[in-house]
Amino acid sequence: MNLPVEPDSTAKLPLEFTDNHESLKILGFWSFLATDLLLFASLFAVYAVYQSRVGMQGPSPDQLFKLGPAVVETLLLLTSSFTCGLAVYQMRRNHKRGTIIWLAVTLLLGVGFVTTEVREFVSYIAMGDSWHHSAFLSAFFTLVGTHGAHVTFGILWAITLIIQLMGRGLTTVTTRKMYMFALYWHFLDIIWVFIFTVVYLSGKI
Amino acid sequence: MFNNGDNKRHKVIAISPNGPTGNGDEVEARFLAPHFESDGFPWLQIFGYVGSLLLTIAALLAVVDHILPAFGLLVVILVLAVGQAALQLGIFMHLRESRGSTWHIVTLGLGIVIAIGLVGMSMWIMTFKSGVS
Repeated sequence: MNLPVEPDSTAKLPLEFTDNHESLKILGFWSFLATDLLLFASLFAVYAVYQSRVGMQGPSPDQLFKLGPAVVETLLLLTSSFTCGLAVYQMRRNHKRGTIIWLAVTLLLGVGFVTTEVREFVSYIAMGDSWHHSAFLSAFFTLVGTHGAHVTFGILWAITLIIQLMGRGLTTVTTRKMYMFALYWHFLDIIWVFIFTVVYLSGKI
Repeated sequence: MFNNGDNKRHKVIAISPNGPTGNGDEVEARFLAPHFESDGFPWLQIFGYVGSLLLTIAALLAVVDHILPAFGLLVVILVLAVGQAALQLGIFMHLRESRGSTWHIVTLGLGIVIAIGLVGMSMWIMTFKSGVS
């Protein structure tokens, strides 16, 4: 570094961006999200192609889905996305307690989402409509299940994050981790909005 | 040929009013300049939440009431979903925030192009009725 370093220029940055190395990790996480987007795009492509291959006597998407659980899942995930946004907002105002509380609320809403989804899956399987029944059901369980697995991982991540925030407080490292978790969580919300649209709603058209 | 003097293409814009910091805060193009949010009250977050709820309800009602023929309806709910994605990216994911140039927007844009291509091309190629299935 031959250029002069000005201490003032970083003073106004949020804590997670004040360290150069931590900022690079955020950039790296965006790259991960871009590749995760491609994973989901592949599964969406498979679903779009196999949607109509429902086997000899179905069920078709219209016969299988009930909009009730899907709407509940959507509302839970949208609300958790909002509370996660509030956690980052509190973090930016250097309120450790507010950050942890909103993150815990996010986590609980995430648990509610996964619980509703598992019950939905179990109800389908109980009727004999499991993933080996038709190409449509294989594609459905793979796409929606992959998203559910991501959310489950996010819940475990949030638990470790809460423990770190309680122990270490808001540092350049913990705020960067919180910021990355928020990116992950909102990304999963975007994927869910498309699942709700492409899988559930378009199944009812 | 390689004059670095007044070459606009290589001109460096610094977000710091006092010039480059040497900390990676320089931006190479104006449209990649970062922008940080700061508010006294989380208005943006509330706007994002209400907006996403309204878009979801609109999509749900459109499908339940069958306001359009099938294809038109599919286009409408996909547009509403893209709107929601934009709200999440712009408000909750702080898309414009970065240290130096916002290169992640370029990466994400490339990802979106490939994603649309992947889904669109798969659907297109499967519309051909071949003897192999």
